[in-house]
Amino acid sequence: MRKHFSIIFVAHLLFVGVAPATAGYSDLTLPRIIYKGGNDNARPEGLKSLLSQIARRTSVEVKREPIALKFSDPKLFKYPFIYLGGDGSFDPFSDENINTLREYLSYGGFLFIDDNSAEPESGFDRSIRRMTTRLFPQTPLRNIPRDHSVFRSFYLLNTVSGRVIVKSYMEGITLKGRTVLMYSANDQAGAWSRNKLGDWNYDVIGGGYRQRQLSIRLGINIILYALTLDYKKDMVHLPIILERLRRYQSP
Amino acid sequence: MSFLTKFFEINPKEYDKWQINWAPEDPWLISIALGLIIPCALWFFWTSLRRIGSKPKKVFLLFLRIMTFALLIIILLRPELEFKKSHLLKNYIAVLLDNSKSLSIKTFPKEISRIDLIKNTLEFNKEYLEQLNSKFIVDTYFVSDEIQKTSLNLKNYQSNRLFTDFSGVFEELGSNYENKSLQGVLFFSDGADLTEEPKEISEGILKSLAKINAPVYVFQAGNNDQFKDLALESVSVSDFGFVQQPVHLSVKVFSSGLGNRNVTLALKEGNRILVSKIIEIRSDKKYYKVDLQFTSSKMGKRIYTLNLPRYAEESILSNNQKEFEINVVRDRVRILHLNGRPSWDSRYLREVLANNPRVDLLSFFILRGLGDNVAAPTSELSLIPFPSNLLFDDYLSSFDLIIFQNFKYEPFIDKKYLLNIRKYVEKGGSFLMVGGELSFQGGNYSRTPIEDILPVNFKETDSWFINQEFRPKINEQLFNHPILRLEKDLQLNREVLASLPPLQGANLGLVAEKDAYVLAEFENGSAFAAPIIVSGEFGRGRTALLATDSVWNWRFRKEGGSRYFHQFWNNVIDWLIAEPETLRLQLESDKDRYLEEQQVLIKFKLLHKNYQPASGITGKLTVSSRREEIIAKELTTDEQGEQVFSFLPDQAGFFKARLEIDGLEEEVMFSVLRDNAEFEKPLVNDFILQKIAEISGGKYFLLNDVNDLSRLQFDNPEINNKSYNRSFSLWDNWWAYGFLVGLLFLDWWMRRKAGLS
Repeated sequence: MRKHFSIIFVAHLLFVGVAPATAGYSDLTLPRIIYKGGNDNARPEGLKSLLSQIARRTSVEVKREPIALKFSDPKLFKYPFIYLGGDGSFDPFSDENINTLREYLSYGGFLFIDDNSAEPESGFDRSIRRMTTRLFPQTPLRNIPRDHSVFRSFYLLNTVSGRVIVKSYMEGITLKGRTVLMYSANDQAGAWSRNKLGDWNYDVIGGGYRQRQLSIRLGINIILYALTLDYKKDMVHLPIILERLRRYQSP
Repeated sequence: MSFLTKFFEINPKEYDKWQINWAPEDPWLISIALGLIIPCALWFFWTSLRRIGSKPKKVFLLFLRIMTFALLIIILLRPELEFKKSHLLKNYIAVLLDNSKSLSIKTFPKEISRIDLIKNTLEFNKEYLEQLNSKFIVDTYFVSDEIQKTSLNLKNYQSNRLFTDFSGVFEELGSNYENKSLQGVLFFSDGADLTEEPKEISEGILKSLAKINAPVYVFQAGNNDQFKDLALESVSVSDFGFVQQPVHLSVKVFSSGLGNRNVTLALKEGNRILVSKIIEIRSDKKYYKVDLQFTSSKMGKRIYTLNLPRYAEESILSNNQKEFEINVVRDRVRILHLNGRPSWDSRYLREVLANNPRVDLLSFFILRGLGDNVAAPTSELSLIPFPSNLLFDDYLSSFDLIIFQNFKYEPFIDKKYLLNIRKYVEKGGSFLMVGGELSFQGGNYSRTPIEDILPVNFKETDSWFINQEFRPKINEQLFNHPILRLEKDLQLNREVLASLPPLQGANLGLVAEKDAYVLAEFENGSAFAAPIIVSGEFGRGRTALLATDSVWNWRFRKEGGSRYFHQFWNNVIDWLIAEPETLRLQLESDKDRYLEEQQVLIKFKLLHKNYQPASGITGKLTVSSRREEIIAKELTTDEQGEQVFSFLPDQAGFFKARLEIDGLEEEVMFSVLRDNAEFEKPLVNDFILQKIAEISGGKYFLLNDVNDLSRLQFDNPEINNKSYNRSFSLWDNWWAYGFLVGLLFLDWWMRRKAGLS
């Protein structure tokens, strides 16, 4: 045990009990970024649906109603996780906004980008690549490897799902060992999104129910990665996790 | 000589020699004049005399001109007449007497000490040395690791120096006789140079011998025949070690004349044997390397003793034991961090802890609540059971700090383990609770051992939380508290604390205990104030709480410096684990180890509870050896809350200074070492002595009590030395120039008479 001291365990409750009352002020909020020249709310119920799943499946307390912010909004620095989605190209951000985002990420913030167009090399994709090049010219987007903590922060995953499997991988930017930005081209919010009656808003293409579930699991893993970082990399019980990974093969 | 002294009117008795010195200002001009100008001028002058018929006249005029030029040259050469008094100098002989402690070792079979062999030889040759003293200047020195001039009086010749290093000795000797005529060195020693390896002579000695440039006659005192000894020659170990980590030491053991036997080398702390090893001593082997390893479970300066058995037949017994000190420190801060729920607060604190190279972090995130439906089989989850038994029973004492962050203990920890945490803190552990709705009353800690150890009491309120943005009000009285010192400069620190971003939300229903330090409060106008940052002590441990889960804002908000977030948490950790700089009473000695006859300096600093200097407080300092209390003194702090005490120990050994003041107590340990290094390499080193004699062109002798030194002959060349002098200028005076003018006038008059211009 001492040998692997720098480790986090994740407690697994096998009991059934009552969730504690919450004060509300520390609940997780997922703001959506508003921008010009494109559709920044292509999956209006996507984040709300994901928050609902997080509340149902994990111990994380959430504010179920997502909010929308501009990069210029001073409230931005109250929310360390932000979502940027869309289905088409958008106007380039101002230099001031780019600087704010760079500061936001370097202070510990996290940005999840989701291409809701479900098309390879879409207008949204071009806009995002233009933005990330300006954001970190020396640190381009790179494929996130399968041994990254995001694939084991809650669920054990070995695929990158989504509503449409445009790319079998996610891309990201890592600064000083911390991935500050993740980008999925697979319309994750489309897979998460369901209406008030509980019906799914968009069909998943290809993998059906399992593909949607894996997308929800990936969404939860992304949130928990942002909240717990790379604890899985230095786990004292890494052998146990690796053994489970070996046995468990996601279709 | 007498004519000159009369002429220059000086006392002839004062001078015994004279000479002329030349001091030309420009030798080149003189050379050119002699070689070119004067011959040419004389040639032209001779041709100008053609109109003079009389040859004797012509020759006389040429003679006059030659004389004039000769006088001019003499003036240019600037001659001086010097009268001087000289005397005969004596040559030098240096006598070097080794006075290191190893000279006290006896030589068998006569059992006469090495130093006595030297003394007897000097006494036996007293007459010869006196004769030598009449012909030469005989300088006598005591030598060891330094060179000290003395006389040939043997009364003060003792073997008491603690170290031997000949290269330094010969280096200094060479410097002393630079530009002096040293004709020989008599060197009496056992050759036991502690810096030299057996059968080797270092570059340092070779270089310093070359500098002496005189033969060294070496007289070896003692020999290694029948020398019996078992010695701890050296111990190689780090000055510090880490608690709970193995410490390695390497011991070099020397054995001579003890035949074949097995001996036990034991390492002790106090009377407790930590580790021991059997050494197989063999008659044909002198040196043995033994590696030992032990683990210290306690921090601080620890004193250890290495022991070898003592045998009656040994020449030296004192080298069978060796003590050394290791400062056992904390290598890493082991922190157990329990998070009841992933949140930004827990994430940022984990980031600080994980990125701190001093910290060994063991974190637990409760990712799945009791009612959560993960919608997946366990095999598809990366979650594992919570090992509460292991943590709160088996390994609890191995942590330096336990953090409960927004963590409700049920159902992860059995209530009985809370009692273990209480005991852990009572014995010196530290505990921190960070706020959130699962902390304090929200975590059902009311009337549990956790409430006992926290520096607050829980009270019933309508609400346990308040969701309001606020800036914590810093307690003016505790600005100096180590937790609040984000900057060293006090004014800057105030500004930094005031500039930190606001917090959002606080835990309510906490009432600080009487002895608690309330560092910051939440003030809701005049309605009420709630403690936000509180520190306290429980038993020998320290505890603290943060009644909010929004400190992460200090890292993430643009306003304020994010580095202060790290500094704040580092301060909290340092204070909780009682790092020395966070103690109110700091006691230290200026050294960890002293040699005999060195003054021991003990100083302390006392701070009030608000960490301001405590002046005018009297306390009791006691200094004890292992056996008895040797000093008890009352000391009062000065304006800076400091005081210093010094004393000269009258014995070697290990000492403990203990200070009791203002309800606090501290201890510091130090050692006064008797230097037995000379006995760690006790053998006579005949190799190095022979080499010194051989390289310097001298001779090597073995002292046997009746050595006759009169066979030694030294060159005694004559050396004159000028003691005083007086000089007279022969060129810049009236008669030199008058003579020159006279010659020129005569030349002119003769030429006029001969009809020349």
